[in-house]
Amino acid sequence: MIATPDTMATAPVVGPLPTVIPPQATRFALENGLEVVLVPRQVAPIVSAALMIRSGAGIDSPEKAGLASLTAEMLDEGAGGRDALGIAEELERLGADLWLGSGRDGSQLSLQSPRETFAEALDIAADVLIRPRLGAGDWERVVSDRRTACAQRRDQPEAVVSVVSDRVLFGDDHPYGRPAEGLERTIDRLTLDDVRAFHTGHWRPNHAFLVVAGDFDETALRARLDSVFAAWRPAPVPASPTPPPWPTRPRLVIVDRPGAPQSVVRLVAPGTNRLSIDRSGLAMLNAILGGSFTSRLNFNLREKNGFTYGASSSFAFLHHPGSFAARAAVFAESTAPAVREMLAELAGLRERPATAEEHAKARATLLMRVAEGLSTTGGIAATFGEIGLYDLPLDEPLRFAAALERTTADDLRALAVRYVDPDAASIVIVGDRAAIEPGLRELGLPAAVIYDTDGERL
Amino acid sequence: MLKIQFDTFTLANGLTVILHPDRSSPLVAVDLWYHVGSKDESPGRTGFAHLFEHLMFMGSRNAPYPAFDAIMEAWGGHNNGTTSNDRTNYYEIGPRNLLETFLWLEADRLATLPDVITEEELEKQRKVVLNERRQSYENRPYGRAELAISEAMYPPDHPYHWPTIGSHADVEAATVADVRAFFDRFYRPSNASLVVAGDFEPAAGRALVERYFGWLPRRDPPVRAPRPPDPRLHADVEMTLTDRVQLPRLRLAWHAPALFAPDDADLDLAAHVLGGGKSSRLYRTLVFEQRIAQDVFAYQGSQILGSLFQAGATAKPGHDLDEIGAAVDAVLARFAAEGPTEAELERARNTHLADFYKGLDYLQTRADLLNHYQHLLGNPDGVGRDLARYDQATRESVRAAFGRALGGKRLALRTVPDPVAA
Repeated sequence: MIATPDTMATAPVVGPLPTVIPPQATRFALENGLEVVLVPRQVAPIVSAALMIRSGAGIDSPEKAGLASLTAEMLDEGAGGRDALGIAEELERLGADLWLGSGRDGSQLSLQSPRETFAEALDIAADVLIRPRLGAGDWERVVSDRRTACAQRRDQPEAVVSVVSDRVLFGDDHPYGRPAEGLERTIDRLTLDDVRAFHTGHWRPNHAFLVVAGDFDETALRARLDSVFAAWRPAPVPASPTPPPWPTRPRLVIVDRPGAPQSVVRLVAPGTNRLSIDRSGLAMLNAILGGSFTSRLNFNLREKNGFTYGASSSFAFLHHPGSFAARAAVFAESTAPAVREMLAELAGLRERPATAEEHAKARATLLMRVAEGLSTTGGIAATFGEIGLYDLPLDEPLRFAAALERTTADDLRALAVRYVDPDAASIVIVGDRAAIEPGLRELGLPAAVIYDTDGERL
Repeated sequence: MLKIQFDTFTLANGLTVILHPDRSSPLVAVDLWYHVGSKDESPGRTGFAHLFEHLMFMGSRNAPYPAFDAIMEAWGGHNNGTTSNDRTNYYEIGPRNLLETFLWLEADRLATLPDVITEEELEKQRKVVLNERRQSYENRPYGRAELAISEAMYPPDHPYHWPTIGSHADVEAATVADVRAFFDRFYRPSNASLVVAGDFEPAAGRALVERYFGWLPRRDPPVRAPRPPDPRLHADVEMTLTDRVQLPRLRLAWHAPALFAPDDADLDLAAHVLGGGKSSRLYRTLVFEQRIAQDVFAYQGSQILGSLFQAGATAKPGHDLDEIGAAVDAVLARFAAEGPTEAELERARNTHLADFYKGLDYLQTRADLLNHYQHLLGNPDGVGRDLARYDQATRESVRAAFGRALGGKRLALRTVPDPVAA
């Protein structure tokens, strides 16, 4: 046994948290209406850009799920003077990464390259945005690969639980109820004409927002943006459909995975939207419940009980109200006790309100997450990209920080009552039905409703 | 030539310290590498280095469980640890006001962990690790192949034979006495290197490191098992596994030179030309033109005692692994004969360099890179030497390196859908 000196006996005094100072951002609009934000950062010799389109999978009709994301994916399959492989080769020569995809509320083109080649990479990005070929041969290949990827999702219990949870929570007629990537049967309905129409309708500069972060010369970059995007013309964008209200939903759902060594468990309930004034308070509540290692869920399920490698929770704050979810992958034989403890922790947020320590932890955790997000060019592009997507003010990080300061213990208690109701949550489990059902019945849960891996009720 | 600015010094007890100030954000990162990994375990006690890593979070004398996580999270810091075949790392990231706390916590567990570890804590982390094994391998598609590959490629007495996660039985069998012995042997200041990165004044940072780590007694670096002979396959090996997957996958593996050995960087470039993205030869041929594969891969998995070069593909519905195997072999054979074109080499080299730059953006990645060079080269100043290897590669050096590695015997591992479970 080693004798430790006095210096070790007590924890060092911790000084005040540093203030989060967001980087200087310059905002302007191009002649075609494209809003641009430039954020310099000269730590690594790279530039990151995020171009956000304010339409994503959330406007796909349920029977055509996958359209927004396949449109994004098709754009770099040949554009301007290059075919698909020609684009890939040129980007690699430039050391540039180009990524296209769609989430619920937006579609995105991301570009990251060394500073020396960013201008050339931007030329390719502009081709992809403005002059995609959208050719039949490429479509046939891309749609076939996507179809197979959707089938492969059945291999991944974490992916399956997401598909089924969204379907259960949002219902059959809400676009958030289908995976953004689509399902085999919805992809089979899509045509190249759908893709062309989505591109023509939604990929417009007046419906977009561009962030460029990193090591660039501002004057040269502004001139370059003016010229590369000059041919991109604005047009009225189709109105978005209004989604249906929350459906009634089953209490317990099982997707059978015979012989599975783990059960992948998710508790889902309605959350709220990105612009809700409750967002900052819910983020704090979530940090306490399942948003950090020492959160109540992880501490109970992992550290106290050893049921899992990790338990967590989250709110998805989307354009339309999103989900609240608590999640863990647990030993199959621990499924029922794990569900019991998860429900108890949800109830506990009302019965045992946040302590002063938890409150301070939640605030510090979220503040430092903002600071860390702003500490890389990719993080800056993501932070300001979200600001653009939801049309938030540029000083959103500071407003969020201020809102965290204002949130009181009473606020958190009220939010817990309103949003975290264990009796309102649906419990979705991907696991070995025969092995786990008896234990779940003993918890007093109703009979399970059985779903398939695509989110269809059997 | 690109440089990462740092200062380095060694404490009297042998701890290597590397300071990397960066005042661009109000954050600090502490990154501590111990030069021990699953390669330092013994057969019958596999998975121990990783299980031990978990126990490092179970409290120390002056910061009893769960203070380690609780103190730093109270201020918005976070942390983790990772274990590989070759090393174990621990890191903390957080606001600059936590720097002293991070150093205190790391020093306290290095000083006192075995005094406080209990059977109960070991049992809890054993369960967590067994869940990690299920989540990362047993309940993950193609996870069984990952576990099988090292076992098939290395003989039972080679330290890469067993996976870092260990076997179920060995993790079950670990005792507190094993924990103490492992700690005593490997967790010494002279067997570690510490990077402090971020928003701090260098002189103050140095004083803090000396305050919390300087008093620890000196002990000699651990005596290590001699380096095993380079493993060789004596014949081609064919294996078939079933897994809960929709599509069959073929994985080919060859022994290849160790990390930083001659040919290592050339094989990295060869892997890029073959499987690194859409314009790569395997993608172009199998996915784009023939449309028989859903995905392809090729990589040089570089490690200290020897590397594995791997390539393969997943068959699209309606195609089988015989067809995939023939197509992959044809691409590899052609590449072995002609090497990369000048344009392919340029693309691979530029992509590698750009990826390196992109990694430098994040404070913790820079901290980890300095430790990586220290661990490997005995000196954190490795950027120039590392990048020069790629700069010097030629069409002929890549072709020759590829020919040497793939001239050896190989493993062909097929994962096919389990007819019952899929």
